[in-house]
Amino acid sequence: MCRSVILCLLLCSNVVAHEMTPTYPKWEVSYIEGVQKTTMKMFNKRKDASWYEIGIFDQEWKPISFATKNKILKIDYLGHAKFDVYINAGDVKRTEYICSTSKLRKGDSNKPMVASKICSRFK
Amino acid sequence: MKKLLTTLGLIIMLTGCSLFSSKAEAVTNIEGSVQSRCTVDTDTPGAYGNPNAYTLTTVPASAGQVPIVRFDVSLADAYFAQVSYPTSFSSSPSLSDSVTWTGAVTVAQTSVSGMSGYQAASTSTGAMRQYALTHAGTTWFSATSVATYGGGQNKAFPGGTYTAVVVAECVAQ
Repeated sequence: MCRSVILCLLLCSNVVAHEMTPTYPKWEVSYIEGVQKTTMKMFNKRKDASWYEIGIFDQEWKPISFATKNKILKIDYLGHAKFDVYINAGDVKRTEYICSTSKLRKGDSNKPMVASKICSRFK
Repeated sequence: MKKLLTTLGLIIMLTGCSLFSSKAEAVTNIEGSVQSRCTVDTDTPGAYGNPNAYTLTTVPASAGQVPIVRFDVSLADAYFAQVSYPTSFSSSPSLSDSVTWTGAVTVAQTSVSGMSGYQAASTSTGAMRQYALTHAGTTWFSATSVATYGGGQNKAFPGGTYTAVVVAECVAQ
């Protein structure tokens, strides 16, 4: 019986951060009829994470379908990203949150112990 | 003729002077915006210690390290901080028995004295604890985690690398 458990150092020692703005986005008319859009910005100060998943949710955190160029964004360390999110105009009233969540890669040798998630709210 | 040459000379000199005195200018703007925002940082990395064969813990006395997450908000009453301790491994060797998870999330440090009431005012749902960030500034949260193998039978963890994830969320109010 192998009793030894290799302990896992779970994060690099650098301070890492994740930011998404605006806090209260607004839907606006897009160039496609019946579709509304909003624009979000992200800043990645996490050295240990470069992939972020975008999601839109209703008040009960049920996912709402939407379209964007990439639902999983690659943002390099200290990189900025500006992206448009499109939604059916009929779903606009149901939308409550838009969130970005850091993604962990299975193959990463330095797996982070903290997953960060930032949610802006439609008011 | 002499007058004409003198006049031309003066014109050339003045033009030359004006050419030398004019500066090449380019305007480069630096734009920024001040707005409500939340930043989630990993202040201290977490690590599991292995005090015995069937326990993994972040307790420092057992050679573990408690992860600390830092939240920065630029506006009061704009965000909730939600921190969850792990309830599963994100990667581990194959496990044939169950793992019992316990943990706690607490306020580790604050930048404003008014934040001292955050812990008392917080609410918890399962592994997640929610804090209303009612002050602008920085708050540090620690999340301890203990995993015990064997479903109460205290079986030894199989050898290998174990990773679990603390989820730190900043949700607009």
